Amino acid sequence: MHAPSTMSADARKKTLALPGDEGVFFFITADMAMFALFFLVFMVGQAQAPDIYRASRAALDPALGLLNTLILATSGWLMVRAVEAARREQWSAARRNVIAAALVGLGFAATKAFEYHAKISHGITLNTNEFFTYYYAFTGLHFFHFVIGVLVLAITQAKLAAPEGEKTRIWLESAAAYWHMVDLLWMVLFPMLYLAGGTA
Amino acid sequence: MASAPMTEDNSYGAWKFCAWNGMIFMAVFMYFWGWLGHNLPPFAGDTPASEVAAYFRDHRDAVRLGMVMSMTFAVSYAVWGIAIGKVMDYAIGRGHILTDLQVWGAGLTVVPILVSSSFWLLGSYRPEALDDTTLQMIYDAAWLLIDLAYAVTSVQMFGLGFGFLRDKRAEPFFPKWVCWYSIWVGFMFVAECFMPFFKGGAFNRSGILNYWIEFSIFFAYAPIITWYSLKAIGRIRVENGD
Repeated sequence: MHAPSTMSADARKKTLALPGDEGVFFFITADMAMFALFFLVFMVGQAQAPDIYRASRAALDPALGLLNTLILATSGWLMVRAVEAARREQWSAARRNVIAAALVGLGFAATKAFEYHAKISHGITLNTNEFFTYYYAFTGLHFFHFVIGVLVLAITQAKLAAPEGEKTRIWLESAAAYWHMVDLLWMVLFPMLYLAGGTA
Repeated sequence: MASAPMTEDNSYGAWKFCAWNGMIFMAVFMYFWGWLGHNLPPFAGDTPASEVAAYFRDHRDAVRLGMVMSMTFAVSYAVWGIAIGKVMDYAIGRGHILTDLQVWGAGLTVVPILVSSSFWLLGSYRPEALDDTTLQMIYDAAWLLIDLAYAVTSVQMFGLGFGFLRDKRAEPFFPKWVCWYSIWVGFMFVAECFMPFFKGGAFNRSGILNYWIEFSIFFAYAPIITWYSLKAIGRIRVENGD
């Protein structure tokens, strides 16, 4: 026997509602489905040539991958704080957190630039082998998503400087959802590229 | 007093015909360009020149017909874009810059389709007189152009997606998911940038990522947009009492 619900239909709907604009979640879902296919292609390649993948993985520095994971996780946490502040209509605090999220996030770009430069200067390029094809392609596409994310955060902080209530909150939540997607994709890329299956 | 109609152009039959051009384009493109032109899927980047050349020589008339039809109907993509533009004019106000981007993006998409099809046609024109590597080069040039011209179509997709997101009706002409699908497809086309770097594997022109996934999401695009455009035209007609 079910306990009688004390929650009204409206309250239930509000609880179940997605944060931000639901259309953005279609974009996020489609994008993550695409990356899921990328990951599947990678796994198939790894199963067919495990030795090449293992040896290639050894050339990557997991400390840099971990650093980027921490950077994105911290940046994501700052976005959560921004959303919480906006829900309390503390727009200045929300804006400060968004700016901090973007600034911390830029550390990801610096680390990736350092890492790409190190690899290329050692002669490791897109055409070195299949592992590095995927390494550059997937991290490159992810980086493209990251750049778009930084631009979105820049627009978001500008909107928070002159907030328009509900409209700005929805924008901020949508931006945060996208930024978390960038974070989440990296959370899969990092173990898949740097850690999975061990190194040679 | 009855309110004035929001559009002075009530030739809805013409609007619908233009909107149907999206499907006409896609049908022609898939059969003539895709099937007869051996582009469904294409030869991989690492296919020997002799194999590509043999196809042109053995199927010259099929390729010629495929590309003649592809070039003839390429403009239907622009016609389709103009129909979508009319709906956008009505949905978000005439002369909006996003409408212009959508229309121009659709119009410019015709150019790489025309030019790349002319390359394939060139290869089939006198293949017996050309050596294998020349024919391969023509085939490569066509594919490099059609893939790397993705950005003009992305402009259309962004214009359409962001434009219809501004439709403030209680029930917008295009659901939000369609708008975001449009934006996403335009966004994901950037993966085509990898294509020139590969002759084999998932990112080469016939690979699972650069061909099967990218072209599948594009092939699904026109029917979805056409469907909602036709529905919107019907609603506009009713709203204007025509």
